[in-house]
Amino acid sequence: MLKINNLSANIEDKSILKDFSLNINPGEVHAIMGPNGSGKSTLSNILSGKKGYEISGEVLFENNNLFELETEERAHKGIFLAFQYPLEIPGVNTNIFLKTSLNAIRKAKGEKELDAIEFLKLVKEKARELKFDEEKLNRQLNVGFSGGEKKKNEILQMSMLSPKLSILDETDSGLDIDALKVVSDGVNTLRSKDNSFLIITHYQRLLDYIKPDFVHVLMNGKIIKSGGPELALELEKKGYENFN
Amino acid sequence: MTEQIKTDFEKIVKASAFSEKDVELKKMHLNKFLKTGFPTRKLENWKFSDLSQIIKKNIGELSFYNDYSFPNKIDTSIFVEGLEHNKIVFINGRVEKVDFTHEDHDKIEINDDFKFVNRSEDNNSLLSLNNAFTNKCYKITVKKNYSLKKPLVVYHSTSNKITSRNINLKLEFQLEQNSSLRLIDLFNDRAENNFINIFYNFDLKENAILKNYKIDKVQNKNIRYSYNNIEQDDNSVSETFILSSGSNFSKNEINCNLKGEYSSAFVNGIFSLNDGQHHEVRTIINHLVENTKSYQLIKSVLGKNSKSAYQGKIFVDSKAQKTDGYQLSKAILLDETSEFNAKPELEIYADDVKCSHGSASGSLDENSIFYLMSRGLNYQQSKELLINGFLLDVVEKITDTEIKNLVKNMIGLKE
Repeated sequence: MLKINNLSANIEDKSILKDFSLNINPGEVHAIMGPNGSGKSTLSNILSGKKGYEISGEVLFENNNLFELETEERAHKGIFLAFQYPLEIPGVNTNIFLKTSLNAIRKAKGEKELDAIEFLKLVKEKARELKFDEEKLNRQLNVGFSGGEKKKNEILQMSMLSPKLSILDETDSGLDIDALKVVSDGVNTLRSKDNSFLIITHYQRLLDYIKPDFVHVLMNGKIIKSGGPELALELEKKGYENFN
Repeated sequence: MTEQIKTDFEKIVKASAFSEKDVELKKMHLNKFLKTGFPTRKLENWKFSDLSQIIKKNIGELSFYNDYSFPNKIDTSIFVEGLEHNKIVFINGRVEKVDFTHEDHDKIEINDDFKFVNRSEDNNSLLSLNNAFTNKCYKITVKKNYSLKKPLVVYHSTSNKITSRNINLKLEFQLEQNSSLRLIDLFNDRAENNFINIFYNFDLKENAILKNYKIDKVQNKNIRYSYNNIEQDDNSVSETFILSSGSNFSKNEINCNLKGEYSSAFVNGIFSLNDGQHHEVRTIINHLVENTKSYQLIKSVLGKNSKSAYQGKIFVDSKAQKTDGYQLSKAILLDETSEFNAKPELEIYADDVKCSHGSASGSLDENSIFYLMSRGLNYQQSKELLINGFLLDVVEKITDTEIKNLVKNMIGLKE
């Protein structure tokens, strides 16, 4: 599904990713763990099309050259990024945003756009599953939401859009145990033989709830080791500094 | 200009039925105008725009003669649909219709021969020009304890039958005790390259409520100046909303005298400008007695080569303890050629007051755009959503739900 070959990225002459390669097949869950500044967020930004990086290498998503696609086209093709710091958008009603987003993607896929009633039915159902306060859906997008609510809102958007590849950028940070469980349930519900996940995290904790198929350790812009879930445990025990 | 204006003035006097006394008065105003001419940058109030130059550049020589003896045909397609309302229709400066169908006629008095008295800003040359050339000044009085059932829409329209390059309008409103009026000014121009000069005076008695919504939305090549003077007695409320978007140049001035205790004034405005447009709002809120309140919120969205300015003055008299004054302006600059100017002026002579002001400007947040695009919205959609969101809280300040929805529809804001 996703093939990253020798991806290098610089920002203002600073090299962040160096010859990064990764292969994600349909249905797989990959976790990338790494210390601060190892390039984790850069990777997720580049995959979803954020501008401002100097890039070389190749990224293929279902055989499309990702770098030829605009940010919104990537979303249309099924890439979703759950932001580490979801943005507050004043004056934009959460429900209206969700509906615009969902219908933009449905339209691009050639599916029928949902009307207000169909949409509300769907969003309420998903909100309930995620124990997301329905009243918040009528508020301005993320404005005045707690850290946990913002993250839940990301997962709500993810489950509404049902993407093929979901990238979770430190979704666990700032979540309490209960919220972590709810968020993980949301992810696990979406797991299928067709949907893949790339989970970026500092801690092993999230991986207790979302069992990854592969764990990669990212340091200084490179994967230094890959393995199964046991790698996360080992990492947790040793710490990044002593790991090598 | 001097020769032209004098000739045109004589022509108007000859064609009119003005009394000798009126003519004398008008002459006096004309001379007063001629002494100073159009405002230039030298005046602090016109710091950001040289009206004299703007007129020269956009219109050239002005001419002033209009034949008011024949009625103009009213184009009913300009009427607002889906909102029952009373009407005053101006075409090329002539009142063509005064229609208060929805109201109790004993409760509203209309006087079409009112001599406008200027109570403030005596040195405003545009007011002198207005006094010299206004054809008729209507005075609308809303009687004690009466609230108009429906809003009054004043249609400001021009047609291509216009003969002059300058239009002067004037209206006087008196709101007696416990009365209320919702007034919408709707600008709709067919004629181009005119200088339109509008003066309103409002007298709000105890507990009166005025809501004035000024909507300049239709693209037009005119230069517009509008001045509201608002006098407020005890407990009265004035709410002014300005949508400043259609004209080539526009300046709205609001002078508000809070001279009754617990009176309050609200001024909220949106500038949405593009291609070479230049709009301004200047407010002067005079807190003259104790316990008065003012609140102002102005937001601008500025496209290529456009410019907006906000000059907000809050004056607090030494007697005006417990004043609560607030003003905030924000601007989004969509292009490096767009420009926003803010000049807050706080002049405070009392010591127990709460006054604050703030101003901020910047470009659209790229991170927010990225966030929205990552959810499948294209750049244009994301930009529009952000701009609408930015402007929404100003529109939300409109306290009349019916008119709020009308404005939302007009500017394409979704709830």
